[in-house]
Amino acid sequence: MAEVTLYHWEPNANSGKPMLALMEKGVAFDSHYIDMLNFDQHKPEYLAINPQGTIPAMTHGSLVLVESTAIMEYVNDAFDGPSLMPESARDRLRIRWWMKFMDQWLAPSFSMFGWKFFVGPNALKAHGQEKIEEQISRIPLPERQTAWRKAVFGLFSEAEMAESGRRISVGIRMLEAELGKREWLASDTYSLADVNGFNLAYAMPLSQPHLANDDLTPNIMRWLRAIYRRPATRECWKLGRTPMASRVEILEQDYIPPRDESEGISSGVR
Amino acid sequence: MSTILYHGEPAGPSLTVLAALAESGVEVECRPINLLAGERHTLPDITDSVALDMGVEGEGPVLVVDGEAMTESVFIAQYFDELGQGTLQPKDAYKHWEMLMWCRRVTERGAPAAAFLNCQSYAHPKLAAMDEANFASLTAAIKSDDLRTRWADVRQGKFPDEQVADSRSKIIALAEMTDTALADGRDWLMGDFSIADLVTYPWLCSELVPEAFTGKLALQGWMARMAARPGMTAALKRATVTNPEECWAPGPEINRWG
Repeated sequence: MAEVTLYHWEPNANSGKPMLALMEKGVAFDSHYIDMLNFDQHKPEYLAINPQGTIPAMTHGSLVLVESTAIMEYVNDAFDGPSLMPESARDRLRIRWWMKFMDQWLAPSFSMFGWKFFVGPNALKAHGQEKIEEQISRIPLPERQTAWRKAVFGLFSEAEMAESGRRISVGIRMLEAELGKREWLASDTYSLADVNGFNLAYAMPLSQPHLANDDLTPNIMRWLRAIYRRPATRECWKLGRTPMASRVEILEQDYIPPRDESEGISSGVR
Repeated sequence: MSTILYHGEPAGPSLTVLAALAESGVEVECRPINLLAGERHTLPDITDSVALDMGVEGEGPVLVVDGEAMTESVFIAQYFDELGQGTLQPKDAYKHWEMLMWCRRVTERGAPAAAFLNCQSYAHPKLAAMDEANFASLTAAIKSDDLRTRWADVRQGKFPDEQVADSRSKIIALAEMTDTALADGRDWLMGDFSIADLVTYPWLCSELVPEAFTGKLALQGWMARMAARPGMTAALKRATVTNPEECWAPGPEINRWG
């Protein structure tokens, strides 16, 4: 069996998806932590593996794979272990729909809030504007340069933030409704949609306490706690090195009441 | 099990799905709808509409299985393939990953650009000519706020120069990516014919950015092979108008992160 190496940041969002999928499948892998805020992903040694400079990336023998959701499908197809996609074509379609909806519609809005209130300010504090600007100018894809400038320097317009806030609110309501239909997200068995969704949603009760809590979204809370209890999830979140990953511990609380939106925003400032 | 495919004229995502259906050998009831009349938002007997209401693709085809609406052309194509002969997706896990990556690049970058330019040329004049009351009742049925905004933008002719230029450059980039993939002389994008071909062709078969094709012989050869595919000819036979390539309705949004 060829060796697997995963290049990842925190168990969170895109990095966390293949990390958790590998752990659920029971696939041993070399974990290679990329400090995203130190721009490790734009250093020559990483660009030699993934010239696009995006995280995560996975190597399997001589094969190189990128894009977190597509990597998860590969992990599920290529390795033995419990299947993370059901047999039913209809369930698979629904799972893929939810992953695309989260990846392309909902997650960018969460990420805008995350960068504005948490990641961006912390990165500037740690590294300074000049160094960050220089490192952004080395990113190969122009659209990624634009995205990084917006992210680190918080250059989102009021309209963009308002739209992201609206989508987060709509998306949480949609997740709550969907999780009322079945035990897991989009199918009756634990699947890639759950792995994907947990990485997006695990900190919601902390960062969006006015929208996600035991009073307003009992289905989401049941689902998050069920995933948190899985041994693979525990192992995966141990690979986190920053306060970002330790936010998952909020799921140990038996009851999370509604709190004001401002408490969610201030929870990101370290 | 009751399965109905509601589709627009064979262009954009409806062309992908109709061609995939024909190539898969699966038989389902197909019902043509007028996407630009908003008919997608008033379909009967839908018991679960979340995918129809909130799909990223915009005005694409809708597969209704026992009352549940299912959307996104790539995934519907995979569904037909998985129910059918299983010949449209690579069996090897890595090649399958390559196909998924390809489809994602096409749908995330090429598709919004093609939908934007085609809506500017073809959908805008039709929506602009619609009277206010009709347009209001059409858009009132749209559940997604951002999709409804894209409809209003198309009607009002909101096509900023910067986005037009960006969209043209994305079509050129898609044409280059396709030409490069074919440079080793292969007939189809993934080697064997696959959903990647079916997903790419509809966004490229437009005359709006002619310079994208100039001098790209591998691309031109592939376009000709695609046009001759049994799936494509079967899909185009379902057209109810003489120029189906001019039938577009608001598509996916342009990436908000730039």
